[in-house]
This record gives sequence, C-alpha cells and structure tokens, in this order.
Amino acid sequence: MTPIHTLHILNKAPEHPRSVACMGALMPGDALLLTENAVLALAAQCSTLAGIRVYALAPDVAARGLGQCTGEAALVDYPAMVDLTAQAQNVISW
Amino acid sequence: MSTLIVIDQPPYGTWAGREALDMAFSLAAFDQPVALLFTGAGVNWLRKLQETSEVEQKSVEKNLSAAPIFGVEAMYADAAACVRYRLTLEDMVAGVVMSESSSDLLNQYKHTAFAG
Amino acid sequence: MAAIQLQNYTLVITGAPYSSQAPQTALSFARSAIAAGHTLDRVFLYGDGVHLASAFSAPPSDETSWPAEWAIFLKDNDIPGVACVASALRRGLVNESEQKRYELPASNLLEPFVIAGLGEWVEGTMASSRVIYFHAGG
Repeated sequence: MTPIHTLHILNKAPEHPRSVACMGALMPGDALLLTENAVLALAAQCSTLAGIRVYALAPDVAARGLGQCTGEAALVDYPAMVDLTAQAQNVISW
Repeated sequence: MSTLIVIDQPPYGTWAGREALDMAFSLAAFDQPVALLFTGAGVNWLRKLQETSEVEQKSVEKNLSAAPIFGVEAMYADAAACVRYRLTLEDMVAGVVMSESSSDLLNQYKHTAFAG
Repeated sequence: MAAIQLQNYTLVITGAPYSSQAPQTALSFARSAIAAGHTLDRVFLYGDGVHLASAFSAPPSDETSWPAEWAIFLKDNDIPGVACVASALRRGLVNESEQKRYELPASNLLEPFVIAGLGEWVEGTMASSRVIYFHAGG
C-alpha cells in the first residue's frame, strides 16, 4: 500500500461548508475517512475522486442504514481508523 | 513543528473563532511556529472598522492586530472567500496575505487545526 | 499489511456530549489505540468539549454516561484528562479552587479530569507524534 500523505477525517454532512472545503483540499496521495454524519455522502450522488482513497467508518454507516450503498468506499472499524492515523504522515480533522 | 490554525467561522455569533485565536497565541507564547488561515465566512474577521459596542462583545479586530506582536508568523486569507464577501486587501486589517490555493497552504504545515 | 509504527497520541475533544458524537467517537478511537499498543499522552478538552468533564451530567439510565465512561477509561489507563480553564470557566465547569476563587455555589469537575491552561495542549502537540481532533459534527 502506498503511504498516505494526508488523512482527512470528515465528520460533517455533505452540505456543511466544511465538507465542501474538505473536498476542495484533497490532493492526489491523500485519503478521506468519512465518520459520523459525513457517511451520508455515501447515500448522496457524489462524484468519485480521482487518486483519493475513500474510507467510511463502519459503525456510523451501519447506524444510518447505509450498509448496502457503500460504493467505492472501503469500510473500516475503529482499530482500522487508528491504523490509518498511524500510517498517514499528516492528519486533518475537518 | 509548524501549525496552521484555520478560522472558518464568522467573528460574531459564535465563539469557535475566538478560541482558535487563543490556540494560535498559546503556540506563539511557547515559541512554536504558527500561522492563521481565514477561509469561508471566517474572512469576515479581517474586515476593518468593526464597531461592536452595541453587541457587547470585544472587537476581534483589536485581538487580531495583536497577532504579529504575539509572534503569529502569518495571517492568510483565502482569496476565493474574499471575493465572495467582497473583501480586498484595502478593506482588511494590516498584514494579511492572500492565499490563492488553501490546499497548497495546508500541505505546507505539519499540523492543521480548527478550534471546533 | 506492513507493521504499523507505534505512535504517541494527544486527543483533543471540542464537541460536547449529547450535542455531538465527538466524545463517543473519541472514546472508541482511544480504546482501539490503546489495544493496538499505541500510547495516549493526554486528552485535552477544549471549547464545548469541556462539558465532558462535568460531574453534574445525569443522562437517563438507559443512555450511556459519556463523562462516566471517559472517567473510567482515563483512570484505568492512567491517562491525563485536561479541561481548558478558559473554556471551562466560561461554560460553568469549575474545580474546588476555582469555586473558591470566584465564590461560586458548587464545584463540578469530574475526577480524574483536571483544569489547566492551553499550555497543556501546546505541550501535547510537542510531546506527541499524532494530534487528533474530535469536533462537533453537523
């Protein structure tokens, strides 16, 4: 697995201004982890992001009834979330 | 380790921006390199001629003018947000640098933090 | 997968319990980090996050008490939990010495949390290899 430059942890619904800012800040080599209400993006029609790995926190996905529509996103549990933060060179919590 | 503190909330009606400024001042007090990025509605922090006596809050303009004195290395304003809120460098407090690409700026800092 | 390098984390919680999911996401993260062998340098409560250190929170018995769960976790793992003094005083969270200083009718800081300045956060950023923020969602 190629190293993650910046892991962006997003916990806000797609309409939130900070979600919009986060999407605009993603660079090739970064990874995006959707947590809490950010997983609602899996239900909305979102464009795929070239060169960006997308993860979603499974307990938040399951809680919101979105287990069937994860699309391109890889589901991770809390231990895997910890792993992502340990692997990434930088972490930004939006 | 250089830190970028991001303020994306308006100056009044919420406290998160003030608490972000306190974070920046604390880092500077410990001689840690720190800069501020104002983006989204946060660029309204930078507007001159804020008159706050009628809302009974301290003017953030005064707080901000202390930033260079405390050792905050730079104050960046997101250029697109400034266009949206009709802010030019002339309308803003002294010492602001326009940032054409906030994602490039984020990449330059090891540690990026919002206050809330 | 390649072996994960062990990290020393500072966690910063800025979202309040019962108005955001931040304290529970942070607790699940913290438990998993410890289980994986990482260390937590400290947990810093800032802004609305200081409400997590209130001893006066009394949720219904069928809901999780996030202040209580966090207090147990911090004690069991001997991790410092620090609430920012400026955030705490504005929001009505005080220990006994602040109660006396401001002549308030009661103190409400939940053990083992302590109240201290933002310098604790700065030290955390200097001492840790990773600083992770848990903000209110939306």
